[in-house]
Amino acid sequence: MVVTGAARGIGRAIGERLQTEGYTVIGVDIGDDLADTTFEPVQVDLTSPDGPETVARAVDRLGFPLVALVNNAGITRDARLVNLKEEDVAAVLDVNLGAAYRLTRALLDRLVPGSSIVNLASRAYLGNFGQFNYSMSKGGVVGLTKALALELAPDVRVNAIAPGLIATEMSMAIPADIRQKMVDNIPLGRMGEPAEVADLVAWLIHPGYITGEVLVIGGGRSLA
Amino acid sequence: METAVFYATDTVDDWDAARSLLLEAFRLSQEAATAGRPIVYVVHGDDLLGRRGAPSAMVATGLLSAARTAAIELARSRVPANVVAVADDTDPSVVDRWVQHLSDRDGPTGEVVRLDASHLGKALP
Repeated sequence: MVVTGAARGIGRAIGERLQTEGYTVIGVDIGDDLADTTFEPVQVDLTSPDGPETVARAVDRLGFPLVALVNNAGITRDARLVNLKEEDVAAVLDVNLGAAYRLTRALLDRLVPGSSIVNLASRAYLGNFGQFNYSMSKGGVVGLTKALALELAPDVRVNAIAPGLIATEMSMAIPADIRQKMVDNIPLGRMGEPAEVADLVAWLIHPGYITGEVLVIGGGRSLA
Repeated sequence: METAVFYATDTVDDWDAARSLLLEAFRLSQEAATAGRPIVYVVHGDDLLGRRGAPSAMVATGLLSAARTAAIELARSRVPANVVAVADDTDPSVVDRWVQHLSDRDGPTGEVVRLDASHLGKALP
């Protein structure tokens, strides 16, 4: 299976979780920090013209049936709408949405019947202050998920996961006082763990009756 | 004050077209937010459910999320940001009327109003 954004954080946790079930994981990332993982590494910029094809060639080279694709790679470039720069909107759209769409298209013919696509959206698709571009991109991932679910049924199931505040490097870079205020608004009273998101991805990849859905994993933040 | 209205009701076929529309919507939205003008995105109802292909769906649901975030950021200024979802046969005058409704500073914000019926019994994104 293929996991993008696999070098760190949620992507790495997903890859490691899937390896415990015996899957061969192709870990895709733009940086060179895949070296200390046990994934089959593909270092590539997915927004480049030949990025998705590079991953497709890696799948072919390994020769395993492709049973899952996890589109996880994502970036943030936060600012209030009135202060956002267009290049930051474009960059976030290209990585979070364009790369997921283009990579999925490149791998479609390789996904075997019964396989599964899981797209990492974000709870920010419901709206989040200072994240117009990120929210737009993750909302787009929701639409991508629904359209693909219709297009690829019954052979391939397609779902999305929308994590809230998860304890990753990205979240820990938020100033501590602001992070604490965010946690105070989470009914479960804590950040989520990457392993908890990975468990949900693994569950969705197993054969089941769910497709075209968005599962929010946010400790109840969508209510409070 | 004049409402910024962005129409994305036609189908789009590829990522480049979707990206272009989303960036155009950003530019219009930023201009409106800076001027304190209400924002309404008009999308096709089928695209909110992914029925007309991935690129069109990505635009419609991307705009819905963008409206929700713009609504949060502009709420203190009482500037609404909303979405109208139409069908193929929705009368343009009805759309215009709802754009006006959704531009009311005392009205809803961050909402989607469906002027078609194809969503009934289905899940909204």
